[in-house]
Amino acid sequence: MSHHLPATVTRHLWLVPVIAVCAAAAAAWQPHPPEAIDLGARHLGPSLSHVLGTDHLGRDLLSRLMIGGARTMLVVALVAGLWTILGTCVGLCAACSRGLAAAALLRMAEFFAVLPSLLAAIVVTSLFGFGPLTAGYVLGLTGWGPFALLSFGLARRGLGEPYVLAARALGGSTAALMRRHVWPVMWETQLSYLGTKLGRVAIAYAALAFLGLGADAGRADWGAMMFEYRLFALDHPWLLLWPGAALIALCVVLRLAIGGDNGARVPATRGDLASTIEHDAEQERLKFTPGIARAGETAI
Amino acid sequence: MSWAAREAGRAVLLLWLASLAAFAVIRAMPADPAVITLLAFNQPLTDEAVAALHRQWGLDRSLVEQYAMWLVDFVSGDWRRSFRTGEPIFAEFMHRLPVSLTIGLGGLAVAIALAVPLAEAASRRPHGFCDHLLDALTLGAQAVPAFWLASLLIWLFAVEFAWLRPFSGATVERMILPIAIVAITGIGPLAAVYRAGLSEVGRSHYFMVALGKGGDPETTLARHGRRYAAMGLAAALTAEASWVIGGTAVVEIVFGLPGISQFLVESLAMRDYFVVQAYLMVAVAWMICVAMAAQIARHWLDPRERVAAP
Repeated sequence: MSHHLPATVTRHLWLVPVIAVCAAAAAAWQPHPPEAIDLGARHLGPSLSHVLGTDHLGRDLLSRLMIGGARTMLVVALVAGLWTILGTCVGLCAACSRGLAAAALLRMAEFFAVLPSLLAAIVVTSLFGFGPLTAGYVLGLTGWGPFALLSFGLARRGLGEPYVLAARALGGSTAALMRRHVWPVMWETQLSYLGTKLGRVAIAYAALAFLGLGADAGRADWGAMMFEYRLFALDHPWLLLWPGAALIALCVVLRLAIGGDNGARVPATRGDLASTIEHDAEQERLKFTPGIARAGETAI
Repeated sequence: MSWAAREAGRAVLLLWLASLAAFAVIRAMPADPAVITLLAFNQPLTDEAVAALHRQWGLDRSLVEQYAMWLVDFVSGDWRRSFRTGEPIFAEFMHRLPVSLTIGLGGLAVAIALAVPLAEAASRRPHGFCDHLLDALTLGAQAVPAFWLASLLIWLFAVEFAWLRPFSGATVERMILPIAIVAITGIGPLAAVYRAGLSEVGRSHYFMVALGKGGDPETTLARHGRRYAAMGLAAALTAEASWVIGGTAVVEIVFGLPGISQFLVESLAMRDYFVVQAYLMVAVAWMICVAMAAQIARHWLDPRERVAAP
């Protein structure tokens, strides 16, 4: 089985800064104040002033979509950062250590891999208030388990390679081995994994907003907008379709940007990534492998 | 026997840890349920009223005492009464649990029934129609939010075609769309895993040897292929099934179904301590059950497991 990753993993990586700049720009400037109610301008169709029209309170739909997008991206960025830091640290530490310490770290990662992070997020955001920061921290702090297990599998396999053993025999320290020989072969797989999962994070945030737990109902989150506008689905379907389309588009773009061309097909066709993950998981006795593929967020 | 005893011991330990965590998280909540209840019922917010409610619910005791008393009651089947409805929580859960399980497990059953034939068809003709359909479903499961899909299906089937009454029909009629949503989001990932298992078998040496010995492909697949692929499917199913409690929250709310997740969401806003604690315990107990069932299934499917761990 080939463990070689296609070069396409990083081909569209330039999209990441583009998305970040777009999100920052959307947060900084909107054509209209997103919460400004104008009852004289209810349910307007698209025009030059209101490019996507207005909602049932006369608020500009495009402005609300922009703010919602920025908030969603904040969550995604927070989660990506937390998963990368926690997952890499725990995974690498477990791979370097032996015996009880390694077992304890792995048990901890397994615990966070099976912890239902959406459920945790539902409970925590409704208790401590809903917002991109709360949601991002909860999803990030409870969902890093699979990432750590993946990192552990990759690092363990890397450390077992003959050339790493040779470098160790030459007197290289563990830290140097990690930096020079292990890290370079693992980061692309980690990145692909993020690419396949970050879209789910955006959807989980939208689901939380849709449920509206502890949220200020008028907030311009995509999920909250879909909840609010579902009442007008029959007369003004565009109100409902736009936030949904924006969310789906974001998921696909994230997937393309970070997973590469292959990303769009990874779990389905057992591309190199999927087999790498599953192979490692098999080797490391991680029985809930497909949990890595999906972490089982049933129907959000 | 020793296996069962060890597993049971682990399950009890896990449940106890979960009860501690549930208690701690919920008591760390920033608002007081007595205040919320008084406000919700338009009662004067006096210190005496708050203190009376605290006394009634046993919240005036020390935290250790409260936890110990709740644990004893919980184990003996008295899950207390809800602050919000005044009804016994145990009865409410027994009433609602079947709804959640029907949606979640029914959806998964439909998903498997469709995923297995789809994956077999896809692996018979790589890059054929079924293979692309499988890809699309997998990507769809990752990119399309279920609540959005639910709104779309309600609009299509209840309004445009008027085939179903998802809010006012008989129970069976109300269940169709929720089960369909869970199934649609489950088919892609499950089929992908099964498909991956099949193509791995197809490349394996033992499969080629069996073919080389002159076995015809169908028999060889039945004897050597499906069991291996089914192991992957069982693992995928474990992940999906352990999320049945909690994962159906959005669907229950969109369709207004009285499942336990809907009860949780309603109770969270009122800081209904005992409901949230009971819910978390049920969720953990369910995950433990699923993990045990998975272990038994693995033992049965994978002969290597039996050799390695007698």
